[in-house]
Amino acid sequence: MSDLTIEDPAPQMPAVRPSRWEALEPWFFIAPSVILLLAIGLYPTIYTAVASLQTWVMGMSPPAWGGLGNYAHAFTSSDFGGAVLRTLMLIVVTLPVELVLGMMIALALDSPHFSTLRRLLQICLVIPIAITPSVVGLLTQLMFNEQLGIINHLIHGLGFPAIDWLGRPAAAFGTVMVVQVWEWTPFVALVLSAALSTVPKDIDEAALLETERWWPRFRDIQLPFMWPGITAALVFQTAFTIKEFDMIYSIERGGPGTATETAVMQIERMAFRGFDVGLASAESILMLVLSIALARVYIRVFYREMD
Amino acid sequence: MNDLRSALLRALQGLGLVLTLVIILFPIYWMVAGSLKTEADLFAIPPRWIFTPTLEAYADAIFHSNILTTLLNSVIVVACAVALGLVVGAPAAYGIARYRFKGRKDVWFWYVTNWMLVPVVVLIPFYLTASKLHLINHLVVLILVYQVFIVPLIVWLLVDQFSAVPIALEEAAQLDGLSRIGIFLRIALPLVKPGIAVSAILSGIFAWNDLLYAFILTPSPNSRTASTVVLSYLGGYVIPWPKVMASATLVSAPVIIGGIIVHKYIARGLTMGAVK
Amino acid sequence: MKALCALLAGVAAMSLGAGSARAWSLEEAAKPYKGVTINVVGLDRPSYKIAQKLTPEFEKATGIQVTWNIFPYEDTLKEETLNFVSNSQQFDAILSDVVWPVNFADPGWVLPLDHFTGDSALADPDLDMKDFFPVWLASFTVNGKLYGLPFDSYAGLLYYNKSMLKAAGFDGPPKTWDELAKTYAPKLTDAGKGVYGYALQSARGETQTADAFARFLWPWGGRFIDVANKKVLVNDPKSMAGIEFRHALLKTMPEGIVSDDHSQVVEMLSQKRVAMITEWSAFYPTLSSSPIASDLGIAPEPKGPDGAYAAFGGFSYMVSAQVDKQHQDAAYLFIQWLTSKAMAKPLIEGGAVVARQAADTDPATQAKFPNLAPMVETWRTSVVPDWRPQLECYPRFSDIVSDWGSRIELGQVEIKQGLDSMANDLTGYMKSSDCWGKSNDPEKAMATYK
Repeated sequence: MSDLTIEDPAPQMPAVRPSRWEALEPWFFIAPSVILLLAIGLYPTIYTAVASLQTWVMGMSPPAWGGLGNYAHAFTSSDFGGAVLRTLMLIVVTLPVELVLGMMIALALDSPHFSTLRRLLQICLVIPIAITPSVVGLLTQLMFNEQLGIINHLIHGLGFPAIDWLGRPAAAFGTVMVVQVWEWTPFVALVLSAALSTVPKDIDEAALLETERWWPRFRDIQLPFMWPGITAALVFQTAFTIKEFDMIYSIERGGPGTATETAVMQIERMAFRGFDVGLASAESILMLVLSIALARVYIRVFYREMD
Repeated sequence: MNDLRSALLRALQGLGLVLTLVIILFPIYWMVAGSLKTEADLFAIPPRWIFTPTLEAYADAIFHSNILTTLLNSVIVVACAVALGLVVGAPAAYGIARYRFKGRKDVWFWYVTNWMLVPVVVLIPFYLTASKLHLINHLVVLILVYQVFIVPLIVWLLVDQFSAVPIALEEAAQLDGLSRIGIFLRIALPLVKPGIAVSAILSGIFAWNDLLYAFILTPSPNSRTASTVVLSYLGGYVIPWPKVMASATLVSAPVIIGGIIVHKYIARGLTMGAVK
Repeated sequence: MKALCALLAGVAAMSLGAGSARAWSLEEAAKPYKGVTINVVGLDRPSYKIAQKLTPEFEKATGIQVTWNIFPYEDTLKEETLNFVSNSQQFDAILSDVVWPVNFADPGWVLPLDHFTGDSALADPDLDMKDFFPVWLASFTVNGKLYGLPFDSYAGLLYYNKSMLKAAGFDGPPKTWDELAKTYAPKLTDAGKGVYGYALQSARGETQTADAFARFLWPWGGRFIDVANKKVLVNDPKSMAGIEFRHALLKTMPEGIVSDDHSQVVEMLSQKRVAMITEWSAFYPTLSSSPIASDLGIAPEPKGPDGAYAAFGGFSYMVSAQVDKQHQDAAYLFIQWLTSKAMAKPLIEGGAVVARQAADTDPATQAKFPNLAPMVETWRTSVVPDWRPQLECYPRFSDIVSDWGSRIELGQVEIKQGLDSMANDLTGYMKSSDCWGKSNDPEKAMATYK
């Protein structure tokens, strides 16, 4: 999102005619972090890329050249494909829901009245963001338990039949989505609420004089100021979801069956339960390509739109 | 008509606020209440809203498991990882904010990509390399690997902070004969203190919460971190739910408190660049 | 007790007529290892709880310090394999499931026990190998060499609620799977009240492979593989009959069983929500302290059309080959002590299950622990050591079985289609990982120990 900063003619140090030394100066500041990230990020990535071309099952056989066999297997196995698809599904379904709900919360926080309630909510919104995801997973296990969970008890109290939240594949995936929405909607709401606070008071007041209907006001005044926030929320959410492991793993390790297994979980299973380092590496590289592609798309498409 | 409409809107707003508050807080309440209940109370049907609280589960968690060790491990890891991230990340953010140079955009994009990086990509080689160096179960491995997301986050947040420092201040300092490093350390850095605090707490929260890296890189009972310890109770024949909830409360309390302290700045920090 | 031990040891030493001038004693044998700390891998299960409780006795007698490293079962193989692959020497006493010996023995990660049993300074003359059940020794024998001393040994048993069965008009437990499914379970199931006849732990992972899949292969004549002919058999008609039977049985099980693991089905039985479960013998202490303790009935697992093949699982302790000699010897002394004849009784009294014949068949102990008699009967008559195949590539093999096994159970694929896919994946994997040549046949070793 700092792309904006990069584009805008931000004040910079008065540059005397840049000498060669001058050109190196910024790198003096940047180099330590780049070296560190290269060592802990790039080196392992290359290692993984090499391993992805090897037939290598930990403990069974030493690494041997395997060509593109691992990639062929990753592409054809329903196991990995399914996990990637589920991960994308998770993004496609939960993101819009989080955006809509987050927007509603942000609007409610922006309106007058109930100032104490609003302040309280503003503080509480941070809780789901901060709470440890493995704890959220455990709580889900407890609260959504079919027989003894509080959720089914409440549903029953309202006159609906109990639902086997975690036992059926579709329901379990739905449960994961619900929890994901619980965990991250507050984040979206906070970001959008901050964006909403950038709407200049005078413009808003002038608009209010013209019409009191909320839709035109939202569409013409508030929404344009919220686009940057929406974009920020999208980028962060996509990153969080594509990396998702902790919370879902803690519910039931991706079960029932593989109904809630994400791509990262599937790769972890291949690498550290099946010990197939070659295959897991190939799958990791594919995920890396996917995430870089997504990052590029976001940055190109959304940030272009803004300027 | 309009009065009715605004009254309705107002009622809707109030209802929405209350509902959101309840939905957010109820699971937290259920966790804390669960940690204060006995097994029988926890699974009673219908649920017991009124019960005699007991600290047994906490005693059990503290004295019959190594939760305190794991909490200490987490504190060490988070403190060191955030410190290291700031030491390398803050200058980088300053460099990107204050200089126009070739490759600037690429560097920035590269940081962002690191943030999107799927952890498993580095996990396997990190494991194998660390094990060759006999560093498995040493907290330093986590401190290093967490830089993968800490550095990008810090750079991301601080670039905007540094850009917002009035250039006139730095120019004046330059005229006073301060070097660029001097300007960074004495002028710019103190001015972005709030930004540093926010990015430190935010990256600290993410580091504290990590499960996957810790799960693989520090598996031994005494080098585990707090976020993994809560799962260790699930492997038995009987799941001691009150103890699990007590541990969960202990593990998540620091991050919740940390989050509440900086709640005002979180959204602002994360959207600074976009919202400006 | 101690005196008796010493006496027995003395008698054994004399009867062996070995050249040792004086009786062997643990204290004496441990002298060179005083102060050594050994790391032992364990699980969060009853046998290890009591073992940890008794460990100070060993520490006092030997001066060797013991650190227990407790892991959830599903993580144990990962931790141990990573420990070996990285040569990080975290563990000295290695815990091996009945399906792992070949994984540990083939790469030379663990030592064959004759390394120690041949050393008169270390070997307890009263170890009495013959007292272990033969099937247990066979299970941990790879290429003719014994690698592990059995500990925490299970047989699949039928646990049932006597009152519920009685109320439905049954005086005893079902003897065959057919009876269980057609006569017992329907009568005991009242879905409207949330009460079910039977529950089968089916969670993804080894539980699905062992408890939910293998259990329905063997009694119908089905098999996983035929090593001699390099053939995968999970989709042959006999295997399919068993899995079809399992599928029909789902009607009398609670919903969502595919996500349930051991702890959940045991909970269901103890909450009177199911009438029968088939579970490991190690669950007796958990169930006997539950609300249905007085109603708890225990019997051998039902027979199938092809005979009685109960679930077979459990562990043994091995010694890491990667640690130095001091640690190896100290670890051996520990596992020898833990699995000794003398320890069997205190372990059982504390809730453990061990594979020691004398202790398991002792009438006084059997009277106190009703899980022992059916467990002994099962080990003697209806288990096979290769109930799950011993393959070096077993982890992925099991993962593939568990993957398709749960999909079938969830109804995501037709049974035949699912089993064909499973067979297809297994065949491909066995070939690509060159696994046919890396298998162990514990059945062969049975003759040696009988």
